[in-house]
Amino acid sequence: MIEATNLSKRYGDITAVDGVSFSVERGEVVGFLGPNGAGKTTTMRMLTGFLPPTDGSARICGHDIFTEPLEARRSIGYLPESPPLYPEMTVHSYVDYVARIKDVPRRERRAKVERALERCGLSDVSRRVIGTLSKGFRQRVGLAQAIVHEPPVLILDEPTIGLDPIQIGEIRSLIAGLAGGDGDARHTVILSTHILPEVEAICRRVVMINAGRKTVDAPLAELTSGGHRLEELFARVTALDAAETEGQP
Amino acid sequence: MKHVPTVAWRELRSLFVSPVAYGVLSLFAVLAGLFFVLGVAAFNTYVMQLEQYQALDQLQKINLSDHLVGQFYDSMGVVLLFLVPGITMGLFAAEKTNGTQELLLTSPLTMWDVVLGKFAAGAGFIAILVAMVAAYPGLLFVYGDPEVGKTVSGLLGLLFLGWTYVAIGAFASSVTRSQVVSFLISFVLLLSLLLMPAFSELGVLGGASGIGGAFSWLSTGEHFQQLLKGLVDTRDLAYFAVVIGSFLLLTKASVESVRWR
Repeated sequence: MIEATNLSKRYGDITAVDGVSFSVERGEVVGFLGPNGAGKTTTMRMLTGFLPPTDGSARICGHDIFTEPLEARRSIGYLPESPPLYPEMTVHSYVDYVARIKDVPRRERRAKVERALERCGLSDVSRRVIGTLSKGFRQRVGLAQAIVHEPPVLILDEPTIGLDPIQIGEIRSLIAGLAGGDGDARHTVILSTHILPEVEAICRRVVMINAGRKTVDAPLAELTSGGHRLEELFARVTALDAAETEGQP
Repeated sequence: MKHVPTVAWRELRSLFVSPVAYGVLSLFAVLAGLFFVLGVAAFNTYVMQLEQYQALDQLQKINLSDHLVGQFYDSMGVVLLFLVPGITMGLFAAEKTNGTQELLLTSPLTMWDVVLGKFAAGAGFIAILVAMVAAYPGLLFVYGDPEVGKTVSGLLGLLFLGWTYVAIGAFASSVTRSQVVSFLISFVLLLSLLLMPAFSELGVLGGASGIGGAFSWLSTGEHFQQLLKGLVDTRDLAYFAVVIGSFLLLTKASVESVRWR
């Protein structure tokens, strides 16, 4: 469903992402891990077509994100690092607007908007103005806009950042629910985070990047087998790479 | 391009929940009323003076269209210069501060959906303002007989002038994140466009030679005046279309450039 081939992004002399390749199958929930500044957000922005890669390409559901942008973007639900909200709109009119620009057919729009609001626990606040909502609710509105058109692929950039433990639990079970549907209703999810327990809770596979390069790509079960802990691996991978870069003048 | 109305409608709705739209509308209404009343009073005084001096041939020439309606439109054109940047300043700058630019650019929208949608919202708002202006000469038809043609062509001029200002304002909004900066950029651009003929008259640009002529052709005022005179010439309409088109192209390029930085 998601295929990244040799994705690279360079800003002048700085290489933010360096030749990252991976693919994600239907129904998989992949945790995209890495320390802050590793290139997670840049990679996700390239996958969604917001940024063009300097090198390499990305395909979403078989559509190249740059040669067939409209088809590819229609298949993506994207929650950026900070939810893209219009503070002056009400929750309902905002989600309805997103449904329109995501090409949800007129007949299905009403039902899909209601469903997205319900799934994100927003039915009670649907008439409220977004600007007056708490951070947790805003994050949920951000998630609602990502799933309203029921896209096969969900790209979530730190979906639980800034939430309290209860809200984090709710969002996690929501994401797990999205990937757990049947047949075509199953979403493929890629979510970035640097919170390790989050990965252990919902992801089945881990892609770790550090300093713009992919360092680990394996099923979670394999990584944690033999009593290894994800923290140790994370620390080792980051330290290893730091040592390597320090070694280079 | 099918999403142009969706984008435009959202923009207009957001405009109308912010105090900016109401501020602009009330200020515009007050100024329109003021200029109109002052215009009527001045016209009245002028007619009375002419009667006193028995200047019959001048009395024959004076008419509502040129001496009242045209001047009123002219003043409202200047008012637009100050108010339109206020409407357009948020068009793209607000998308950047909200982070919604990322939503727009990752949705199945074409760049023209976004740019034309925003322009249409601004153009719609201008249409409301022009409708408010139209009410005043409308009153004159009850009490007098201004020329219909000139009254309408002047309104058309005001509409095109406003739309040109919106296109320029949209561009200014697309180059910055700050609404204040956006306001200032569009204000400076609009003012220099208006002052083009003054530059050429001052001889700064080589007097009445080719360059001077080109600069006065570039001026919005020149073309607006033609419409105020009741001359609906394709050359003037083409001028407005060219300026609007070029600034929309620039806006599109500027919005897209986020991707290439």
